[in-house]
Amino acid sequence: MKTLRSDVMLIWLVATTALCVGLLINQFRDTPLPLVYRDKAERLQDSVQRIVSKESASAPAPIVQLPEKLSLEDFSSYVESKRGLVLDARPEIFHRLGHVPGAISLPRDDFETGYAALKGKLEADRSQPIVIYCSSASCEDSGLVKKSLSALGFSNVALYEGGWSDWTNAKKPEETAQ
Amino acid sequence: MRKFFSNRWFLLVLRLALGGVFLYAGATKVTNPQAFADSIATFKMLPPQLLNIVALGLPPFEILLGLMLISGWKARAASLALAGLSIVFGLALGQALMRGLVVDCGCFGSGEPSTLKTWASFGRAFLLLAGSLWVFRSASNGLK
Repeated sequence: MKTLRSDVMLIWLVATTALCVGLLINQFRDTPLPLVYRDKAERLQDSVQRIVSKESASAPAPIVQLPEKLSLEDFSSYVESKRGLVLDARPEIFHRLGHVPGAISLPRDDFETGYAALKGKLEADRSQPIVIYCSSASCEDSGLVKKSLSALGFSNVALYEGGWSDWTNAKKPEETAQ
Repeated sequence: MRKFFSNRWFLLVLRLALGGVFLYAGATKVTNPQAFADSIATFKMLPPQLLNIVALGLPPFEILLGLMLISGWKARAASLALAGLSIVFGLALGQALMRGLVVDCGCFGSGEPSTLKTWASFGRAFLLLAGSLWVFRSASNGLK
């Protein structure tokens, strides 16, 4: 019994040490994790707020209005026509491994950095057609990025809900990062 | 059979394997606590005030316990802690399956939420529990 008590005491000590180490490491990160959790949508909203505060967004009238969502066939012809941007909202590593031809990475989990990198291309025309996809119909990244772009004044944004799994299941062409 | 499971070489391999699994699990999560916090959030078990604390504290805890088990220092206490963790993981995964939640286990870094992977993780939690309890029992009997 005494041994068990000393084991529990030691476990408690190790757990406390681990928490202290975790908190200490966190302080040395580029962007430390806040102590209270903010979900993906809230974090993306924070990123949008920071971008908006740096500039005032304006949205001229769109020329060709896309529907809210595109089917595989519609998306496929959109990709072939190259008449607008295709954004990949998945984490960048997945984009590197394979993506829809011509798609540009704008990961939900690193929206602020991705947006800054694409700023010139995106802000050249806020009414240009943009279609966003993520991994599958059940992922939420493309919807969140669409909402964020709308908040930034982009008025012609559509979702390809089937996402990467639908695209690859249909044996459509793929492209990998150079 | 019992003799085999009590063999000192078997116990050594089991201890190293268990330690290695937890060391690896902790190392994959310690670099990206935000992704781990997102994974824990899918379980809908903890309030937002605790999610990030757990995401910051649990990976170093797993690493320390893994190192203790591999080195053999206080292996009894480490295996007891790992058994406790395995029970917690099993309960978390079990309640997610019962509630029909599609969760991302986050056990070895973040991934896509999947029911099939959740079942696999649930089974793995039981294996880890069994292994940890066997190491604990053996260490209690003075075997290493």
